This record gives sequence, structure tokens and C-alpha cells, in this order.
Amino acid sequence: MKTVHPSKRQLAWVFDLNKCIGCQTCSVACKVLWHGEEPGTEQEWWMTVNTQPGRGTPRDWEAMGGGFDAQGKLRLGKVPTDEEVGGGWRFNYDQVLRGNGDGVRHHLQKVAGSKTWGMNWDEDEGGGEFPNAYFFYLPRLCNHCSQPSCLEACPNGALFKREEDGLVLRDEEKCRGAQMCRRACPYKKIYFNRMRNVSQHCIGCFPRIEQGVAPACVRQCPGRAAFIGFLDDENTAVGRLVGKWKVALPLHPEFGTHPNVYYVPPLSPAPLREDGSFDEAAPRIPPAYLESLFGPAVHGALDVLRAELDKKRRGQDSELMDTLILYRWKDALGHLTRDPAEIVWNE
Amino acid sequence: MARTSGAWAEAYRKKWTWDKVTWGSHSVDCYPGGCPWHVYVRDGKIMREEQSGSIPPIEAGVPDMNPMGCQKGACWSHCHYSPDRVTQPLKRVGPRGSGRFEPISWNQALDEIADGVLDAIREQGPESVLTLLTPEPGAAPARLFAQVLGTPTTDGNAEFQDFSPGFHATWGLFNPVSTMDDWFGAELTLIWHANPVYTNIHWYHYLAESRYNGGEVVTIAPDYSPSAIHADYHLPVKIGSDAALALSMCKVIVDAGLYQKQFVQEQTDLPLLVRKDTGRFLRGTDVSDGEREDQFYWWDTLSGTLNPAPRHTLATTGVDPALAGSYGVLLKDGRRVEVEPAFERLRRHLEDYDPERVASICEVHADNIRTLARKVATRKTKIFIGWNSGKYYHGDLIERSMALLLGLTGNWGKKGTGARSWAIMGLDGTAFMARKDGPGQEAAQRLIAGMIAMRRLLAAGDPTLTPEMMQNRAAEVAAEIGGQGAVMPPAFLWYYQYGYKERWDNPENHDPSFKRSFGEYLEEAVEKGWWDARYSKVYRDTEPRVLIEAGGNLLRRQRGGRKLLVEHLWPKLKTIVSIDYRISTTGLYSDYILPAAQHYEKLGNSMPSVHHLNFVLCDRAVPPLGESLPDYEIGVRLVEAIERRAAARGMTEFKDCKGTVRSLTGLVKQVTLNGAIRDEEKHFDEVVRDNAVYGVLPKGTTLETLRQKGLARFTNWGMVGHGISQASTLRPDEVHTPFRWHVEDKVPYDTLVRRAQFYIDHEWFLEAGEELPGHKEPPPAGGRHRRFQMTSGHNRWSIHSMNMTNDVILNTHRGEPFAFLNDREATRLGIANGDKIRVTSDVGSMLIQAKLTPACRPGQVIVYNGFEPYMHEGWWSQSDVEPGHVKPLGLVGNYGHLKYRIFSWQPIPADRAVRVDVEKATERSALT
Repeated sequence: MKTVHPSKRQLAWVFDLNKCIGCQTCSVACKVLWHGEEPGTEQEWWMTVNTQPGRGTPRDWEAMGGGFDAQGKLRLGKVPTDEEVGGGWRFNYDQVLRGNGDGVRHHLQKVAGSKTWGMNWDEDEGGGEFPNAYFFYLPRLCNHCSQPSCLEACPNGALFKREEDGLVLRDEEKCRGAQMCRRACPYKKIYFNRMRNVSQHCIGCFPRIEQGVAPACVRQCPGRAAFIGFLDDENTAVGRLVGKWKVALPLHPEFGTHPNVYYVPPLSPAPLREDGSFDEAAPRIPPAYLESLFGPAVHGALDVLRAELDKKRRGQDSELMDTLILYRWKDALGHLTRDPAEIVWNE
Repeated sequence: MARTSGAWAEAYRKKWTWDKVTWGSHSVDCYPGGCPWHVYVRDGKIMREEQSGSIPPIEAGVPDMNPMGCQKGACWSHCHYSPDRVTQPLKRVGPRGSGRFEPISWNQALDEIADGVLDAIREQGPESVLTLLTPEPGAAPARLFAQVLGTPTTDGNAEFQDFSPGFHATWGLFNPVSTMDDWFGAELTLIWHANPVYTNIHWYHYLAESRYNGGEVVTIAPDYSPSAIHADYHLPVKIGSDAALALSMCKVIVDAGLYQKQFVQEQTDLPLLVRKDTGRFLRGTDVSDGEREDQFYWWDTLSGTLNPAPRHTLATTGVDPALAGSYGVLLKDGRRVEVEPAFERLRRHLEDYDPERVASICEVHADNIRTLARKVATRKTKIFIGWNSGKYYHGDLIERSMALLLGLTGNWGKKGTGARSWAIMGLDGTAFMARKDGPGQEAAQRLIAGMIAMRRLLAAGDPTLTPEMMQNRAAEVAAEIGGQGAVMPPAFLWYYQYGYKERWDNPENHDPSFKRSFGEYLEEAVEKGWWDARYSKVYRDTEPRVLIEAGGNLLRRQRGGRKLLVEHLWPKLKTIVSIDYRISTTGLYSDYILPAAQHYEKLGNSMPSVHHLNFVLCDRAVPPLGESLPDYEIGVRLVEAIERRAAARGMTEFKDCKGTVRSLTGLVKQVTLNGAIRDEEKHFDEVVRDNAVYGVLPKGTTLETLRQKGLARFTNWGMVGHGISQASTLRPDEVHTPFRWHVEDKVPYDTLVRRAQFYIDHEWFLEAGEELPGHKEPPPAGGRHRRFQMTSGHNRWSIHSMNMTNDVILNTHRGEPFAFLNDREATRLGIANGDKIRVTSDVGSMLIQAKLTPACRPGQVIVYNGFEPYMHEGWWSQSDVEPGHVKPLGLVGNYGHLKYRIFSWQPIPADRAVRVDVEKATERSALT
């Protein structure tokens, strides 16, 4: 039976998909900060951005199962294979750059046996038919769910949800690498570190949060598409976008885990009719596709966005648009506005 | 709050600690650039970097610029320790390109290179020593020797074609651009010939935010580009037909009377009278003896008389210049000729651009053209353009047509309008250093006083000269006397020595309206002396002997390909040097690789740009790795070696092709200002202090003050770069919008006619039918019978080829070069997603992975550039497929503003819309 894991307050992320440009700065910032060159983490990308529609990462993750059923019963899906996770590529630098006079006979490439998928393999491919192709970017990290199925599934009690901010963390001392969490997570955002025999996932940048600094994925987002803050605080952008304006929605709410990463759904250019004229009334991205990602609430959220956009176009004020414009970048960071460069560590 | 505990938690905490933080940025030729970062160091090693997010807000009601940065910057530290890093001087021991090198000492390397330079000067003359002007600011000091010897440096603008020839032809300005925060204020943004989702990662938010602010965004691109996904509309225009689209909008606007009459009368040449008999402007020399050749006329409808258009102002006070009609004028020889305003000719010219007809040219519905035209005419409109259009053969026509659209609708000179491109500024301290007579800021003051006096002298000859004209004239004079390291337009060198002659002379690569061969145009331009001052004749006979590439990657970059250069240029070269922190393809084909410090190991500044207006510090976080050295140190040591070897060989001076005698003694004293500026830190501090004297940076700015805040906002344009082309006064608390001197203060433009010039009556333009902007199809370069057109652009994943081999970044795409194809079309050709394909033109071929997408236009192959040739099988890359052909009109050098200045008007190669065939690769063998 589904257990409730209340936290006193819940920290939440919002990504504005109308601002996300798929640049992967969040992904790279996270990778460099938490993995660097550490052996065992090569395939781990706690933060990823994928082009939608697409097979994503791990490849075809949406069909792998996990989460809770309508009755609240834990569902165990499959563990993504290393091939499906993909990436972790190494390259033959020495052969090309410090070879023995072979010159053009060798070119820089992945070493033999590399995975045939990567964290952003289907970048900028999308769906539809030219000229009415469509796509958008979807950043994903651990959802730090309010009903975390990973926690439910762990046989070793390694996972816990922090009271103070709702982050779902893993005690890596308790983790025995059973990977039940990987089966249970419907978002497939848990990786496996073979060197250490532990599963690993986004730690919510808790060492930064402790110091009042926003997570790297949020603070380093140059598109100003990422927001963080406590859900119950309507003084923050997150609180306003999720609670007040209800334009930020969780991904795959039907998975039943109550995720805490929210998305402002994508608008899209008017499609073209057969004769090349614009069909202003029709959507370019099929609404059914968006509904398959964000649930039926997506239609209302898009209506609100369009209505508020229209207000601005008529010269009227819109609190929602001003929130999304983000006149001052620090307003995206909730209470986590501290500049990390100010910190002086005393051992 | 209970602290999460456990060894695992401590391990994560430990990862996010450091013992040192410095300001950092990337002193690379990143054209967005300007990002302030913090670099975090632990135990002497760079751990990571993070945007500082510290740029102060500028204008009330406009979003701030934070947190500038991108994914490349976020893992730049990784490049410091990457396997392609070079940390010892290397000398080639196998055949060129074999990749066989052995480490040697700095002294040996520098002495041998110096001997190569001196041998070349002795045997072929100083013009045989070529330095390439790669714009990476961090690498520039490595080229000090070329500045003091006056040996030629090729104008990089021809090598990477980041020039907007049509805008220059119209405005006589190099890329007048706004700061990026001005994009927020546009009511309508046309993303056109640009892909800011890839190329302006840290600034794209201003487009998204302008939309949330009520603005509309329209993306005009052949493909459903990544920059179309957040637009309100996407116009899938046929490749290379953009001029027709713009001109059709112009027609709609003119027909409906929606043009801004006063703006057109005042700011443009459209009221100027053109002779019907010759198609040339009516000139002062036509009308009366003793009148100026560059005096032009309009017809004042108030007085019904012919009036000279004032040269000193754009103001039309008291007159109403005619835009229509035909008038009889008495010439000085007693003949009577009919004249008409250029606008009248434009109106007739636009008859060809009826939306219904253009719809079939552009494959854009006529209603969409009409609707957009009316929006442009009624809203503050900004064209967000990159440097893509100029890389089309007819890019000049495309840009002139876009400028016409903006001109008719009054869309420049006010906030939220204009055409975005990119412009550099604020390099004065660096550029003028070796010209100071000693160290210190008094010397800088003396230098600047001398330069101002020179401008006064120029102004005495013509009191109507504007500051911008004086600046440009001074730059022209400096270029002619060989100041600033003798930068030259390289087209003539390339034609005679690089192997391009056959390709450029091939009529298939040119527009059929050119009646003569390219070679005939080139020889005429050379013989008439239009480019005399710029080495146009020298390379008929002089063979290059030395090639020095600091911070650049010629064999990746040069359109026309590695094969062409290795076959034609390489055998002539006796000494090839790559100065770089990494091994590039050019490095692999060099004789020496000199290891430069990486960007967090030396002092520098990020690319200073009008876009962000900040001088951003890149500080030294750690010492250079291994034996690598800061570029300034390499530059000084190379000068020392040349002086040392010259003395040992008894060479004291040499004469260049202009007859100037150049000394080989006292060079070190000159570059180090008598030894006072010998080390990197002193040099950089001097640059900063001098910039404060030149008024470019706030008074009192020093390296030390920069180390406190990481950046300083520019206070004035300076004299180097494109600052003056902005034609607006900088204001500390406002976004910058160019053209305000012209539009608000009525200051004339630096064009032949002193107005925005849409009518160019040069004989070659008249002959080609390009006196007014028109649409012409791209020539079938690459092969008339081939079925695809290859387009390109900067990619998302690298700065040119820098960072392309960073394995963090390689893991964020397919990890190898790829080309986008339309999914359905590829499937019909039997090509599956991920298949290896062969892309072939008449000049070359490459193998590359196919990515299939409905976003790509049928008939289009998109290859985003930047991949190292050595990332391709057989090292055959995109540039090997490009003919690198040049439009002959770029050779005009005798017409008003169509004249050479550094980083400005000159012949430039085209590389877009090359005709190719695409097929599934059937064999795995490398191409030959």
C-alpha cells in the first residue's frame, strides 16, 4: 500500500519550456560538479535535456514502467540497460594526436564497443512533417517526488525524504546496489555506479542548498528558464507559477509519484495549411501529445498563457508574464540567492 | 534543521569545496562572449567554473543580463586537462600531417622558427612571411613579431566571412548593433539568417522575454530551425531567396503608402536624382565646373528647383525632396537630361516583386508576405540576423534588401529596431601598446593626442567630415602606410598562391549576369590599382614561405578545404607554426607546435563586444601546465629570438615591397617599451590603464580594480574595432541602440552619398543589374546537376573547432560529425537515421553520419560547422566540399565606402547553398 511521506516543506523546480533552448548548460554544470572524471559515473547524467517528441534518455524510458497504479500500488518496471542509458563514450585521442605517423588513416572516434545511444542522441529531430515539424526541449532531473516509488521499493532503506525541503536522497552507505529503485522510478532518472555498486541520482545539490546557494542546474541556466523555491511560498516565482497561476505542471502525473519538478508547457508557431498560408487557430504541437506528457491540465495552462500573452500584446499588465520575463535573475532562485564565490571554507 | 549526515553526504560536500576562487572568462573568438565566470581551484587544480551572475542591471524595466554563460564555458576547465592539450614545444619528425612530433626546448623551437622567418625575408621578401589574423583575443599577443616587422597579416574577415557586405554597402558601417538587452524592446523580431538558439545561448532569453512582453517573433529560415520553435510564426523560405521575400514586403509597403516618407527623404539616398541616360547619380561635376564629384542632388517640390543635397547634415529643413516624377536638368555642357529620384526607379524595380510572383520564388504564401509586411510597417521591428547571409554568394543583395525593408519603415535609430549582428570594440589598449613612446599613461596620453591631431588635420581639408568619417579615413591612411602590422585582404594571395584560381574562374560558380570571367574582374581591379596599397600585385610573384597560426585553425576554417591548401600552399611553405594550447588539424600539419597557456592560466579578457559592453577579466587561476606559456610571453620570446638570430646572422634591416626599410634591431625594446612591459601581468595592467586613458574604460580602472568586480562597463567606443560604427553615444543607464547620431542628430553617413545608400551606381553594379537590391538565385557552385543544397551555421556544441573535442561535450550529441537530412526524403534514398552518408560536390566529398528530421527542408543538407577535419574519416570535412568561390563585386575598391579597411569591405568567399549529392556510404574506406 502506498505510504505517505510528508515533508514539512517542499522545494520544487519549474522549467519554462518556452525559454528552454536545449543548450545542456544545466546538464554539463551538473556533470562537471558531481562527477568530473570519477570512474563509475561515466554514464551518469543526473540532469539531461531531450528533444520532444523523441526516445529520450534512457532510450524509450517512458515505456519502462514504475510508479504507482491507480490504486496506489507500487509498480516495478524494468531496469534500463547500459545500452539504453547510452553514452559514457571514450575517444581514441592518442591514436590520432600522438600516433606513430599514421596521419589521416585514423580519425577521432569513439573507442570500439561504445554504446550506440547517448543522453541527447535524438537532439533536434522531433516529430510532424515538414514544414509542420515540431519539437521542444524537456529538461529532466530527479523529481524529488512527494510519493517516491524508489523509496518505497528500496529493500535496504537507503532512500529517504528530507523533512525540511522534501529532497529525496540516498544513504549510499545503506545502498547495496539492488537497483529496485531503478525498477520503481517511472522517470528512469536513477543510474548505477558499477565501480561502487550503488545506484545514484540527483542529490538536489544539497551541499549548495545548505549554504543558501541554488542548485547548479538552476543557477547556471543561461536561458533563465529554470526556477526553484518552496511550493508553499507565493512570494517566489515557483509558488506563483505552480500554485497561483497553475501554468506549471508535473510530467506524467499518471505515474502517481507526485513529482516536484514542474513545466510551463510549450506554445508553438502557427502551422501552415496545404497552400502555405497560416492556420492561426490550429496548434502545431498536437494537443494530445502534450496531454500525454503533462495530463489534461495542459490545455488550461496553455489557455492561461495565451490569454496573459494577449494582455501584454494589448498593452495591459500581466503578473504572470512579468514573472516569466524575470526582470531580475535572482528572482528565479527563491531563497537560494547566495553567491557561492563568497563562501570561504574553513577546514 | 537536522544536517543530513553520513560519510556519503560528507563526500558530496567535499566535492563542492575549494581553496581559491578567481574571476575567469574565455579569451576566445566567441562572438556572443563576454561572460563573467568564477573559476574554482582546489589543490592547485581547476575543479570547475560557474557563472558569476554579477552583471548589474542597466535600464529600468529591462531584464538584466545574468547569468551569462553556456555549456561550453561550463566545462572549459575540462579542456585544460584534455588529451588534446599540448604542454611542450613540439617539432615535426615525420611527413607533414603524419602527426609525428618530438618535444624540443623552447630555445631550439624559437631559434629555428626565427631562422625560418629570416630565411624567408632574405629569399622571397618579408611578404612571404604570413601571419593569420585569428580574432581570439587571448592569442593575439603571440603575433607581436608581425606588428613590429610589418610583415603581412591576412584579414581574418575574409577567412571566416563574418562580414555583412550588404549592410556595409548600405550604411558604410561595420555591423551597427544594439546591446542585447535592446532586443527586449522590439515589438516584432524577425529571426532571419540566424539561429540564436544555438549561437546566442546566454542572450536568447531576451527574445523569449520580448515575446512575453508583448512582442511577436517570426523566424524566417529554410528549415524549421531550433530558433523557430519558440517563434509565433515560421516562414519556411526557399534557400537563398530571402532578398525576394524582403523586396516583396517592400513592394507591399510602397504600394500601400505605408513607408515613412520623412525617414526615407532624410536618412536614405532614395530622393537623390539619377540620370535616365546613364543610370548614374547626377553629380556636381555634371552640373557645373568646380563642383565636387561627390555632390548629389534632389528635386525640392516646394520650390520646384534642383537642390544640392547637403553634405554636412541629413536634415531636410525647408525642403521637400521629391520621391517621384521626372525632371529636366541642364548640364554644364549645355545638354539637357532627364533625371528621376532613385525612389522612382525603386518603385519600378519593385514591380518584379509582386507577392503572388514572389510566392513561387520563395515558396512563401503571398498572404503571409502581405501580413508580415504590414506588421513591419507598423511596429518597432528588429531583424535578428547573424553572419549567415554574408556567406551566401548574393548575401550582399539579401542584406541590402533587408536594410531597404527597415529603411522604408523607419526601423533603425530607435530602441527595439535595427538589424542585429555583432561588433567588436575596446581593443585600443592592446592595439596601441607598441606605438607608445614609453611605459605609463602619460605616453598613452601623448599617443592619443597625436591621433586626435591627425584627425584635426583631416578635418581641416573637409570641415564636413564627421567623427566616424575621420576615424575611417585615419584607418585607411594607417593601412596604406603599413601601420598596425600590415593587415591585408587575402583574396589576391589566395587567387595567385593558394590554388583558388581555377575554382574562382569557373563560370559555374558565378552568376550568369556577370559577363566576364572572375579572373577578368580581378585583373581589372588589380591593374586599375584599386587594391594597390593592399598587396594585390605582390603575390603574382612572391611565394609564401612561412605561415604562423596563433589560436586559429586554418585547415578547419578555410573554405575550399584542407586538400586544396595542402596541395597548393603547403609545398611552398618552409616553416609552419601552430601556437595553440591544443593540437588542431592545422597543428598536425605544422612543423612546430608551440604550447600556449589555457584560458584560466593566463591574463586576458573576454571578446569585448558592443553587445554586452563589458570588459570582462579572465584571470590566472593556476600556472600554465607543463612548459606552456602565456601568449604574450611567447610573443615577446619570438621577437627576442628573431632579433637574436638576426644579429648572429648579421642582418640589421630589410626592405618591404613598398620600399619601407624595417629594422631588425631594437625590436624587443619596442614591444616591451624599453623593457618596462616585459611580463604578462605588467602588460595586461598597462593595457587596462591605457584603456582608461583612451576613455574606453572608466577612469581609474586597473587590473586590481578589475580583480574586485571582474568586469567594467565600457564608457566610450575607442578607436579600434567597430565601436565608432555604432553611431550613438553610450549611456550608462540605458540599452544601446545604434544609428542615433544619424537619426536623432542628423549626422551624415560615411557612404559615397552620405546617406543610407540603396542605389549603387558603380559601373560593375550597373553592368550586373545590381544598382538596386534585387533577388538572384545562388549560382550552382558545387555542381549544376546535383540535387541538394548544403547550408551551415555555427553549431551549439563548440566555439568553431575549440571545445569540439572536449569529451564532456562530445557526450552531449552524437559524439561525431553529423548532417541533418529531411526524414522522408532520406528514407526514399534508403538512408536511415545514423547511417553514414557521402556528401559530394564537384570539388570534394566527405563521409558523415546522417540525422533524420522533419525539421530539415527537403533538398537541404544541414552541416553545422566546427568539426575538426580529423574527426572525419580520411580527415575530409565540410570545407573540402565547398568551392570557396567569391562574388566579383567584392573586388570593387574605388567607390566611396566600397574601399578596403581592416575587417571591412573586401572580396569574401561564399560557402552556403553549395550544390551536393547525398548517398548512403557503401564502403568504409577513406576517400582519396
